[in-house]
Amino acid sequence: MNTILLQAISNPDVNLQAILPETIVAVTGIIVMLYDVFAPKQKNVTTVISLIGLAIAAYFMYSMWGGGPTTSWNGMIANDPLRISFSLVLLFVAAVTILTSTVWSERETVPVGEYHALLLFATFGSMFMASGNDFVIIFLGLETLSIATYVMAGLRKSDLKSNESAMKYFILGSFASAFLLYGMALIYGATGTTNVALIAERIASPTFPGLLLMGGAMLVIGFGFKVATVPFHVWTPDVYEGAPSPVTGFMAAGPKAAAFASFIRVFVIGFPLIGGATAAGYLHESWVTALAVMAMLTMTVGNISAIVQNNVKRMLAYSSISHAGYAMVGFVGAGVAKTPEVRDAAIAAVAFYLLTYAVTNLGAFSIISLVGQKNDRRTEFEDYNGIGFKSPVIAFSLSLFMLSLLGLPMTAGFIGKVLVFRPALEAGSVMLTTMVVVAVVNTAISAYYYLRLIVVMFFRERTTDWSEPKMPVGVAAVLLITIIGVFYFGLFSGSWIEKFVTPSAPTAVQAAK
Amino acid sequence: MEPTLTNYLALSGTLFTIGAVGVIFKRNAIGMFMCIELMLNAVNLTFVAFSRYYADVTGQLFVFMVMSVAAAEAAVGLGIIIAFFRNRISVDVDDASLLKN
Repeated sequence: MNTILLQAISNPDVNLQAILPETIVAVTGIIVMLYDVFAPKQKNVTTVISLIGLAIAAYFMYSMWGGGPTTSWNGMIANDPLRISFSLVLLFVAAVTILTSTVWSERETVPVGEYHALLLFATFGSMFMASGNDFVIIFLGLETLSIATYVMAGLRKSDLKSNESAMKYFILGSFASAFLLYGMALIYGATGTTNVALIAERIASPTFPGLLLMGGAMLVIGFGFKVATVPFHVWTPDVYEGAPSPVTGFMAAGPKAAAFASFIRVFVIGFPLIGGATAAGYLHESWVTALAVMAMLTMTVGNISAIVQNNVKRMLAYSSISHAGYAMVGFVGAGVAKTPEVRDAAIAAVAFYLLTYAVTNLGAFSIISLVGQKNDRRTEFEDYNGIGFKSPVIAFSLSLFMLSLLGLPMTAGFIGKVLVFRPALEAGSVMLTTMVVVAVVNTAISAYYYLRLIVVMFFRERTTDWSEPKMPVGVAAVLLITIIGVFYFGLFSGSWIEKFVTPSAPTAVQAAK
Repeated sequence: MEPTLTNYLALSGTLFTIGAVGVIFKRNAIGMFMCIELMLNAVNLTFVAFSRYYADVTGQLFVFMVMSVAAAEAAVGLGIIIAFFRNRISVDVDDASLLKN
């Protein structure tokens, strides 16, 4: 008899509990899709089903807090603060996007059920990007997210701008995925494993040190595309402008946060600083330097380009590029952290920053969807002329969001910025301090275009007539949530920050292999 | 002569470069998409070569994942390109010029 048949089989480390939130999101997506097949005329039922599914997933995700960092599925899924905090941000983004979309699905003939299903699948993918502790999971999560988002960008089938946006996003997105994948292959070649925690262990003595560096560079390109950093940002304004406004809001908040989650996991946890090892040390030094330079470029180019825009969606696209730069300041701060506590605090700061950005940005995009009307016709600055006192609710809430994006004290944006700048400043190196100075100068530059929108709304004469858009319940709910969020995170953020940091991880997550 | 790991890596690197250059210089959306597929398959070759070198199945497993993802991407991508073609009667990316500064 063949001896292989007699060998003891070690069961795989199956832990369904660990991926319960992701499973719930996926199952909700399937239910929504099936329901839509049998009742294609519905508009609100799938909205409710999706929101319930997301809420249940968020509940289970929230209840995972405090268990300490563990891994399951043979080290493929990490269960640590990084995963939980980013996943909660992603679930929040998805829920708010669904509420915002009510305005859009009411006035246009979009396939609502399909849209909700795609959004849930995208959320499922992005949650796996946050929890993936292995390149395979990260890649699959990324592609699930991207493929769903390509379709969402092109949901207006007969609109030329939407077609164009989807095509550009698709071509450049898959181009970037190929680079990311090549990076993963080279890292696999250099270390012989695709597990992030094992890579961190083996990085001190790689089989092929040269491939390690090349792989790292490819990964920077791939992730750089996904989070839209300069010089890999060229697709962002076009894609954001052409996509339907609620989808743009989602793309600026959700996929960006998800890409940051795995970017941070791969680089901060996978490529740590190991004393005495030449290739690993060089890799660490070069990625920190490269990302610091990219962060400075991203902030500056994003802000300066935003100044000259005449379209509000395009302006917010460049603003989202510069916000990716601010988030990278915290990311680099996490990369140079000397103790795991400091590192985890910096990662939590980035997650919190992306949460405040998501709250503010989704609020702003809900207003833009509302004002935009059919096919987003009204998205130029001129279209906002003088609406300030005619539609005070719209104008005042949009002004609040602009001030929060700018980072005015008492708003969420301010706390977020302070938190991400702090770890980089505390590291005490010249380059990182310069980066923080550049970030602060950029915040000042950004005041120009954020305040410009407020000036346009309140102090310009309106020449064309203005009909106040009817506000559906969903958008009213979004405004309520986001306005409360902006003040709540601005004033009482302490408990959430603590939550994001706990439980402090003793060491890097261990692989079960 | 038996091909070595270096040979495979050189081949996959070359294929990847051809694909990347093609995406940058081609103007036909279908052509660009084919170049992206070439890049993905070049990566698959790298994975298989290393998988063989380390006698580890992870690389081969990864290739299956990449292949299934590439198939899904092809379905969605061609759908998007067809939607574009219906409105423009063209698949030339230079015609995608509505969204510019």
